[in-house]
Amino acid sequence: MAALSAEVIGMLAFTLLAFYGVAGWALARTLRQEGEKVEILEHQDRMDTYSPEALAELREWIEENPNDPLVDDARSQYNECVEVLRQTDRHFYDWSDAEIERLDSV
Amino acid sequence: MADVPTKTARAEWGTRFGFLMAMIGAMVGAGNIWRFPYVMGNNGGGAFVLAFLTLLFVLAVPGLMAEVALGRYTNKGVIGAFRDVVGRGGMVGLGVVVLLVNIALMSYYSPVIAWTLYYAVHSLLFTFTGAGFEAEPFMNSLFGNAALMIGLHTIVMGSIAAVLGLGIRRGVERLVVYAVPALVFALLVMVVRGLTLDGAADGLAFAFTIDWAYLTYSDTWIAALGQALFSTGLGWGIALTIGSYLREYDDVPLGGGIFTAIGESSIGILAALAIFPIVFAVGVEPDAGAGLAFVSLVQVFPEIPFGGFVAILFFVGFFLATFTSGLLITEVSVTTISEETRFSRTQTVLGVCGGIWLLGLPSAYSVEVLDYLDFVFGNWGLPLATLMILGVIGWVMGPERLRLLTVNRNAGVHVGRWWNPVIKYVIPTVMIFIMAYFAWENRGTAELYGGIAVIVLFPIIGYAVMSVVEGRRGQPETAEVPGGDD
Repeated sequence: MAALSAEVIGMLAFTLLAFYGVAGWALARTLRQEGEKVEILEHQDRMDTYSPEALAELREWIEENPNDPLVDDARSQYNECVEVLRQTDRHFYDWSDAEIERLDSV
Repeated sequence: MADVPTKTARAEWGTRFGFLMAMIGAMVGAGNIWRFPYVMGNNGGGAFVLAFLTLLFVLAVPGLMAEVALGRYTNKGVIGAFRDVVGRGGMVGLGVVVLLVNIALMSYYSPVIAWTLYYAVHSLLFTFTGAGFEAEPFMNSLFGNAALMIGLHTIVMGSIAAVLGLGIRRGVERLVVYAVPALVFALLVMVVRGLTLDGAADGLAFAFTIDWAYLTYSDTWIAALGQALFSTGLGWGIALTIGSYLREYDDVPLGGGIFTAIGESSIGILAALAIFPIVFAVGVEPDAGAGLAFVSLVQVFPEIPFGGFVAILFFVGFFLATFTSGLLITEVSVTTISEETRFSRTQTVLGVCGGIWLLGLPSAYSVEVLDYLDFVFGNWGLPLATLMILGVIGWVMGPERLRLLTVNRNAGVHVGRWWNPVIKYVIPTVMIFIMAYFAWENRGTAELYGGIAVIVLFPIIGYAVMSVVEGRRGQPETAEVPGGDD
């Protein structure tokens, strides 16, 4: 194969990294996480459903929208996550004991 | 929400891998194999890749997340999902628009699958490397033989009915977990074969040289936009349907957005890496569009060592790509109609596939009809369907609610507030722009009149049908979530 210019090689490398790197990362991460979830569910049948950041956002929204038609759904999902965090010993997201301690139902 | 989503005894993907392969299998179709490589080559190579990647991350990834999330949130097909969001009444007809576009799309896509099937069978017979084979007369003999085309169209729809009839896990999932990796394997072998040929470097240079000037051309961005939105299948109802079979604890953003958009585009890149080195090594035209696969490449196979086997890999892979797409496009109608009627899945599969077969006869009979429908639905039908789905999420349900309740629930990556304006403003604006752009470009033509007919008639038909249907079910309810929330 004849020599390729540095520009073509650079673009080719960038393209391979951007597409296969990202797709490979996403595939590996999501399959690994599924494995973790299955393991947690086999161990304790229930699993925390939100990351600390996502749960904080959910709480903020519930407090800011008390009359929203979906606020009951949101509250139920929030409380479910808090309850699971309190009652289980293995968590999917990186919750510290102090963070869980500070949580209360809404 | 008029109907609170309930978890029913509904099929689910058996594995995460099955869901991911279904998403990839649905989105990777003919457009990735024959269109992506030459669009890339004709629009500045590396510059096109940069424009494409930008649009993919800004539009396709967030849009796919939204569609999958709506499916998982409602656990319903297109019409049921719309009813959950807009409440009962004629407005549910917006979901019918998506369904009608899907059925129309599949009616002319089935003959395209038939072409790939015909070429796959002939590759297995080593026709393309036989003595005296001529590519163009061979293709014309297929397109000019109406009985053969209709027969192949019948086989395709019959095969799709057979797989769909087996159900989500036993039929669709079982097929896609083998078909998609087989397609990737076939293309990889072609890449290796192509790169070892003399002249392969010219092919790579054609595809990957960066011509920065192209980033200043509107045509480059329009081409990248079309490829980023339509090759990912955003807004067709497919991602919504596939998402409706997700399990409770599954993740949406990683698999439903990032992996699907980037993964299916990776197959387009793989096709470019597989095709261009071979095409340039033999010296045929790289920008022949559909002809690239059916005329140019076919002429290449006799010229390269083991060309007969490379032809098998290419055309069997090509057939798998189109067949899995057709399968999932049809599944949108099957899921939706079986939920909306009292028919069993088997009855629905037979009815839907039979209906699509009937509607597909003109496209099977005439390539001109197929081209016309492809143009009309590609430029107006699909943007309209996308506008319906993303419009309902953005302006009725509100992206913030969907993000908090579904997108970030059990998610592997956190999706921030940046997502809301993309869903509410950016994607709908882009869809309106696409329809307006192609209307201006095609003013005074039969294509535009067809597009106007779709844009005007489909919503009217949808509204009228659902007004009657919902009226029979009971008094129309007002949606409980009026207006967007952000």
